[in-house]
Amino acid sequence: MPVIELSYSRLQKLIGKVTKKQISDSLPFLGLDIESEDKDLVRIEYSPNRPDYSTDYGIALGMQGLLGIKTGIVKLNVKKSHNYLISVNSSVTKIRPFVTGIIAKNGKVDDKTIKQLMTMQEDLHFGIGRKRKKSSIGIHDLDKISFPLVYTTTTRNHKFIPLNSEKETTISEILVNTDVGKDYGSILGQSSQVPIILDENENTVSFPPIINAAVTTVTTKTKNLFVEVTGITKEDAEDMLAVVATILQSAGFILESIKITGAKNSSPKLEQRKMTVSISLVNQILGLSLNSSKIISSLKKSRLDAISKGVNIICTIPAYRFDIFGPLDLVEEVALGYGIQNLEPILSPSQTIGKINPVSLKLKSLDQTMIGLGFLEALNSSLTSKRVLYDMTDRDSTKIISVLDSKSREHTILRDSILPGLLENLSKNIHESYPQKIFETGTVFATENPISEKINFSGISAHKDANFTEIKSIIQSALNIGFGIKVETKTATNSTFEDGHCASIILNNIPIGIIGKIDSKIIENYKIRVPVVGFEISLSDSVLKN
Amino acid sequence: MSQVFHEIEKKIIASLRDNPKQSPESLEKSTQLSPDQIRRGIEWLKLKNLAIVTESKSSILSLGKNGVESLTKGLPERRLLDLLKTGPRKLSDLQNELGYVFGPSMGLARKNNWIEVSVDEISIKNSPSELLGEKTLKLIGNEKLSKDKIDGNDLSGLLKRPDFIIEDVIKTKEISLSDLAKSIKISDSVGGIDVEANVPEVFVARTHPLKDTIDEIREIFVTLGFSEILGNMTQSSFWNFDALFTPQDHPARELQDTFYLDRINAKKIGTPEQIRKVSESHKKNWRYQWDINEARKMVLRTHTTCVTIKHLAENKPDEARIFSLGRVFRNEKVSYKHLVEFNQIEGIVVGKDASLRNLMGIQREFYKRIGITKIKFWPTFFPYTEPSLQTMVYNEKLGKWIELFGMGIFRPEVTKPLGITQPVLAWGGGIERIAMLKYDLGDVREFYNNNLGWLRSVTKCQ
Repeated sequence: MPVIELSYSRLQKLIGKVTKKQISDSLPFLGLDIESEDKDLVRIEYSPNRPDYSTDYGIALGMQGLLGIKTGIVKLNVKKSHNYLISVNSSVTKIRPFVTGIIAKNGKVDDKTIKQLMTMQEDLHFGIGRKRKKSSIGIHDLDKISFPLVYTTTTRNHKFIPLNSEKETTISEILVNTDVGKDYGSILGQSSQVPIILDENENTVSFPPIINAAVTTVTTKTKNLFVEVTGITKEDAEDMLAVVATILQSAGFILESIKITGAKNSSPKLEQRKMTVSISLVNQILGLSLNSSKIISSLKKSRLDAISKGVNIICTIPAYRFDIFGPLDLVEEVALGYGIQNLEPILSPSQTIGKINPVSLKLKSLDQTMIGLGFLEALNSSLTSKRVLYDMTDRDSTKIISVLDSKSREHTILRDSILPGLLENLSKNIHESYPQKIFETGTVFATENPISEKINFSGISAHKDANFTEIKSIIQSALNIGFGIKVETKTATNSTFEDGHCASIILNNIPIGIIGKIDSKIIENYKIRVPVVGFEISLSDSVLKN
Repeated sequence: MSQVFHEIEKKIIASLRDNPKQSPESLEKSTQLSPDQIRRGIEWLKLKNLAIVTESKSSILSLGKNGVESLTKGLPERRLLDLLKTGPRKLSDLQNELGYVFGPSMGLARKNNWIEVSVDEISIKNSPSELLGEKTLKLIGNEKLSKDKIDGNDLSGLLKRPDFIIEDVIKTKEISLSDLAKSIKISDSVGGIDVEANVPEVFVARTHPLKDTIDEIREIFVTLGFSEILGNMTQSSFWNFDALFTPQDHPARELQDTFYLDRINAKKIGTPEQIRKVSESHKKNWRYQWDINEARKMVLRTHTTCVTIKHLAENKPDEARIFSLGRVFRNEKVSYKHLVEFNQIEGIVVGKDASLRNLMGIQREFYKRIGITKIKFWPTFFPYTEPSLQTMVYNEKLGKWIELFGMGIFRPEVTKPLGITQPVLAWGGGIERIAMLKYDLGDVREFYNNNLGWLRSVTKCQ
């Protein structure tokens, strides 16, 4: 979840009449988690479905609603203008088909505003932009650009001075030499043509979705902004634009429209939507009995507009709230406006009778039997390593199931056996007193359609007198006393066990496991100084078999 | 109440009640016990605060060679004075008769002004009736005597003379009963042992502490009317993500958060209708080209919600309380607060009366039963529930609010494509976090270290 840093004093100015404590108490009820606080600064985590909370301007709008300072929808006032035109060349259709944008004038751009806009841009790119793949944004100094613009394609030899640079560079060089080029270049694939926005004088404005031109850099001297968004669908681009436009208007800019034509592109409407939710659904889902006016006032606190119509509420939703998919989302908006803290939990009696799963019951019974036999229960990860599973125990590693790109070297392979983990446990406990007797039940994995999961049971005993007879008595008693199952042992060989001290565990003539004295070489590998005996059986093929 | 004592202890106490202060040797005589039995008995009684042992040092005096001679013949100066009793004597005569004691005896007699010496004659001036040291000589005689029974002044003169007195320093113990022992009732029972002594530690075989917490949580939900279902840890992306309305380009689905199985894909992921409807919901709401091959990729489940949603899709109950409990996986760096594999519980309530307040009520009841009463609810976001809440519980020890279970109502975008018509309340969260609070652990890895020292000693939680 994205994290941003805010200043209480700046928020207070933006929200209106509010104390610092009111803000910090209310942040969680907007769905914003406070990560840390340091005097005036507060770091908050916001949900990716609310990109408008990526700036303090957006949070201030939400907070005004929640605290009842300003409620109802935030209207976008976009002045119609004929001065700004972007025409789209159809060559972009196959690469990045849509562009949209807006003009924002007469704003005050100080360092703090630039910082907020930068974080907003980054968060939008990462979240709804899906790392700039779906949509990306460029914010420019309007006064450095001569309209009309053209959104078209160019070759990889096209040159311009990119942001944070002083010399002309080709597209190819940008893609190879800059961080943004390396990170996002793959979005453009292998095509020889790349998208570009040029102004009236053929000067490069932007190379979406990678980098802006240096000439349009926004500084504290900037008064007027040009915002462009490019994307895969018109909706993706306009969603992102709606967030930016709302934020810029809240930051004090006056918005003016841009006319966009060509190749299925059109001017953005940034329109409000209407959505209906029934009063009964609101009350059913929340477990309340609110009347229509309470529902409407709650929705207004969530910065939406609403009117009552019979049994329904008709809600008006601003363009930047594209996280609202359907009526249930409106129910949540009612809950937030009503205040989660005002919802009293209720416990209605259960109409159902609870039941533990039979598998869990049998495993619990087995646990009890093993405890009675003096064994301590161990727990190991099912995702473990080649070292533990195969290298240390000399087991066959041809059928391993591994995961991709694990961040932990000790967790790369799904276990097909439990016993190696228990041996590893013993090796970590050679300084503890003996006898050491441990057991574990758990899932083991095999490649089969595509993966089979079975439950195995393994136990080991380590002490100076440990021997085959002891461990055979244990498994026979555990299965007989616990489940009335009688197993036999039949001579076998296995790389983990010592020859002459190893047997298959047989149930109704079918092998279900292995038992014996652990091979001295393995004991040595693990630097264990006492003999170890152990077994492993499949419970899925015995105790848990229907 | 009377106390059971060992036979040795009984005899010692009895003897000391008759004769309150005794040396071990005296106890040996009075109890007829061996020195070793007396030693052990005193030790036991001392540990129980019943016997007081006071140790002291004392000097025993006896006569040396010159002392013995003086005892029979008299002190050298006495012998001189005896010779002069009958009248003045010549110096040379005295020298002959007194031998080697002549010198010292003359010196003392002159110094004390007992005699008068003329040119060659010595006569008594004034003769003392008793000489310093004579009393002591008689007192010690041929025996041994404790120093404190002798007049120090009388002794001091003898101590200065060579080989008159032999002094032996010896340590003595004196045993007496404490006030407690004086009044304690001694049981008549025979063969009692020291039940208060330290004993060697034995280790109890037991289930794993984390398993105990899992079992406790399982039982709480069963008593709340929930039934347990099981499911696989390896799941197709379809059930882990797509069926839960998580778009295929969502960051949570990336390799860096989720474990994908290397080159393993599911052939059958759902019914054709389920696949069609889920993909339509994605295309319509998230606006992208849904790819079935992406849905076939096998993952280690990132939550147990995939198990419950699959159960719902297969059974479509109108009324149900179900939970699923088991291991889930996240591709994270292992640290004191993060594991790649941990346990999660996830439960659902299906029913036409299911509401957010019910959901909150179930949570509150659950927390109450594991001993957490200070809770609150905050809004949050999950891709597959709306509204969504999280529980915050107050931890007194840490002095802060901790995030525990997440919850919400399944979105229609999740339930509708799978043919589920009733509202579904869902909640879930990690179990290790609760177990850490219960066992007061600061490092979650301890649960999987299988450190026998810890497993054998950690106190069970009630």
